[in-house]
Amino acid sequence: MPLPIAIHENSTKHWAARAGSVAVILAIVYYLYLTATTSILQSVTEATIVAIAAVSLNLLLGYNGQISIGHSAFAGIASFVTGYTVGQWDWNPYQSLLVSVVICFIVGFLVGLPALRLKGPYLALVTLAVAFVWPTVAAQFLEQKLDDTKLKGLRLDPPTWTGLAGKREDRAIYMYWLGLVLLLVTYVIVRNLRKSRVGRSLVAVRDNETAAAVMGVNLRLTKTITFGISAALAAIAGWLFAAISDTILPNNFLILQAIIYLLALFLGGPATLTGPIVGAYTYYFVNKFIRENAGDWTFLPGLFQGDGVAPLLLAVVVIIFVFVAPFGLVGFFKTQGRRLMVVVPQPLRLTAVQPQHEHTSASSAAEAE
Amino acid sequence: MSVLLDVKGLVAGYGAVQVLEGLDLHVEEGEVAVILGANGAGKTTTMRAISGMIARKGSVTFAGTDITATAPNDIVKLGIAQVPQGRGTFTDLSVEDNLRAGAYIRKGGDSVDADMREWYDVFPRLRERRSQKAGSLSGGEQQMLAIARALMSKPKLLLCDEPSLGLAPIITQELFAILGRLNTERGLSIMVVEQNANLAVKIAHSVFVLETGTIVASGTAEEIANDDIVRKAYLGY
Amino acid sequence: MGDLPQYIINGLAIGAVYSLVALGLVVIYRGTGHLNFAQGEMALFATFIAWWIYDHGSTMWFAVIVAAIAAFAGGAIIEFGLMRPAGKKSPLAVVVVSIALFQGVNSLTTLVFKRSTDGVPFQSLFPNGADDFVEIGDGTIWYYQDIGVFLTVLVLTGLLFLLFQKTKIGLAMRMVANNPDSAKLSGVSTNKTLMLSWGISASLGAVAGAMIGGINVNITNFTMFEIFLLSSAAATLGGLDSPLGALVGGLSLGIIRSLVSSYPEDWPISEYINRSTAVAVAFVIILIVLVVRPSGLFGSSRVERV
Repeated sequence: MPLPIAIHENSTKHWAARAGSVAVILAIVYYLYLTATTSILQSVTEATIVAIAAVSLNLLLGYNGQISIGHSAFAGIASFVTGYTVGQWDWNPYQSLLVSVVICFIVGFLVGLPALRLKGPYLALVTLAVAFVWPTVAAQFLEQKLDDTKLKGLRLDPPTWTGLAGKREDRAIYMYWLGLVLLLVTYVIVRNLRKSRVGRSLVAVRDNETAAAVMGVNLRLTKTITFGISAALAAIAGWLFAAISDTILPNNFLILQAIIYLLALFLGGPATLTGPIVGAYTYYFVNKFIRENAGDWTFLPGLFQGDGVAPLLLAVVVIIFVFVAPFGLVGFFKTQGRRLMVVVPQPLRLTAVQPQHEHTSASSAAEAE
Repeated sequence: MSVLLDVKGLVAGYGAVQVLEGLDLHVEEGEVAVILGANGAGKTTTMRAISGMIARKGSVTFAGTDITATAPNDIVKLGIAQVPQGRGTFTDLSVEDNLRAGAYIRKGGDSVDADMREWYDVFPRLRERRSQKAGSLSGGEQQMLAIARALMSKPKLLLCDEPSLGLAPIITQELFAILGRLNTERGLSIMVVEQNANLAVKIAHSVFVLETGTIVASGTAEEIANDDIVRKAYLGY
Repeated sequence: MGDLPQYIINGLAIGAVYSLVALGLVVIYRGTGHLNFAQGEMALFATFIAWWIYDHGSTMWFAVIVAAIAAFAGGAIIEFGLMRPAGKKSPLAVVVVSIALFQGVNSLTTLVFKRSTDGVPFQSLFPNGADDFVEIGDGTIWYYQDIGVFLTVLVLTGLLFLLFQKTKIGLAMRMVANNPDSAKLSGVSTNKTLMLSWGISASLGAVAGAMIGGINVNITNFTMFEIFLLSSAAATLGGLDSPLGALVGGLSLGIIRSLVSSYPEDWPISEYINRSTAVAVAFVIILIVLVVRPSGLFGSSRVERV
């Protein structure tokens, strides 16, 4: 058979290919559940936290073009709201999740307001300020309110209907599934936003603000609401962290955390739906592998032997990555995949075209992907 | 007269998009060559390909030297100065610094100062505004500045990319009068890319008509002006 | 408020260090449009070079000069070997590489200079004894150490200004910053200019590292992280493409920080403000300035074409 194989969009073959890839992912997820040790499941959940945060950042940076080095703060706020409401007021943890999401939406919206006037590195600085201020504020809050330096984590027990007990292994299994479900929810929210009219206006704003405004996109509302939603999704990551942790510290969400989200997004491929997820798991496990093993690599030159070499090796790997796949892993797989298989888009059916001017013009501006 | 710039089989474009598909043209020493073409014909691409700003194939020979693989900053040193489309002035630099920027490839010193005085005489408005930022100048003044800046490098060949763009008709006329004088009084070879054909053809010795990446007609200014099809399409009468 | 002059003076030295790192950021930003995330860590490495040379029996001045030269070479090599190839791949690649460098250079420092994790004592270039100060006016004192740092930065800024405004190299740098295409068409090699910019920027960082080392009389592998964050804030405050902005931004930030951490006793919200929150307050002030002036105090706002 000659390569690449051409299949038509939405044809039976295309659906089969889609179903196939979903089946493969489900199989991996289920296989891990069956075979993985507790500590591996816990690692996956930690990576899932990064993945959720990276997906939320992708909505803001990838699709709307607004950079944020402050997403660590949003996740941190959510972890604190959760830890505090559950620890001090005995709230239901899932109720705390909702409240965290709402609070982070509001904070994100507010951060989005000054961001309206700022672009590029100037915006980066404002969000950097948020990330910088957060741990200080959190520490002050603990000191003033509780005379303490930390909050208690949730160590969430599985609900009875799962049939799991409250042991460490059971908790790990429950959090593994809960984390993946939350990631799926986040993914679906971003995916639906992206494929909708709203998503096209987001991308239009990213590519050319003036042109988008002329086409009738409300710039202020689009940008601030996107900031809010993105922060709200980051809150899910913060909640998940609170749920699996024994203690919650102001220092759990420093700027470095936000930089990890950025790296995960960049490595996976910004402005692609699966990019941040692929990037997050890759980054997390490459990092983990290097940290756990670099100390034993005696083939390295003398100076570079020992555990201390891990961050350097990670940096080298990241740099090599970006040279091999400058548009992210997903971009890389797309280009490579095209050699094997191409999806031929459906021809426009004239009957399907509605005389909605804003609709068609917005979509033409949203070609960028 | 000898051939100063000789372009053969020029192929260039942007990424996967090929704009020029084997273009031939040449400029004789001491003459004004005009390239006419509509929007999207590939005029600016031709200019950028000659000056080395985009990757190119084929052959570009200048004064007997093959410059097809030469970097833009080295091409200037050989004697080709380009006034890019949209003027390409250094908007944050003062008028005087813009002129010094133009003389960047020269050793500097007294001869540069003398040249600067000379171009201030040709463009007196620039002298009045010598310490202003170039970005604060009007469109016409910026175009004058761009030409003066290019001339500061003492070029053998001046490339002008749509000098009339965005200028009032009276300014455009003045501009072409100056270009004409530069050629007749100083013997400067000039290649102009223009949509405003009437003015350009008046000062031209030879004319090339560019359509979708290839030269479709060429000849002396007179021949082209008398060619019915070209006249109707580009000269409008 | 009687101590106001003293607090301002206290902020000048650290502010001058911010200015210096910020200047380095501005030099690169003007040429490339990118923030160099590794600026602080590159400076850290150079500072450890200075410490190492001093530790092997040279004078501190010599050590700092050699470190600055080494940093120049290092900066140029990073531009040539990493940043330029990355820029050809995608703009994103540049950002990722500079973030990776941020981590990589820090890690390299801890590997090459084993003691950096615990910190090493750092000899100041200036007299810094308890009595080494001059009294100016009404009980306000100014330590020689702080004067030295402040003057060094002023002199370097002045030299940089002369380089930019009065030399051909400076003209080329301004041309590349303003219009890279036209710069090429005028015969400037943008590649060499960018290497030079990176070299200069890295040297400024090396000197800044030596200054902060002298102020703290100690350096660790964490020394430059906060300095870098505050300096990038200072550069942004001043306007990322303005060297003057970097100077003013850095000094203002130093003074703001000094005032905020000195004054809390008299302020109504004083119980919430201490040394660590001072940085946060400084960030909030910058945020407010940026909302009023989105391109910083001295930055140029560019008109975007549709």
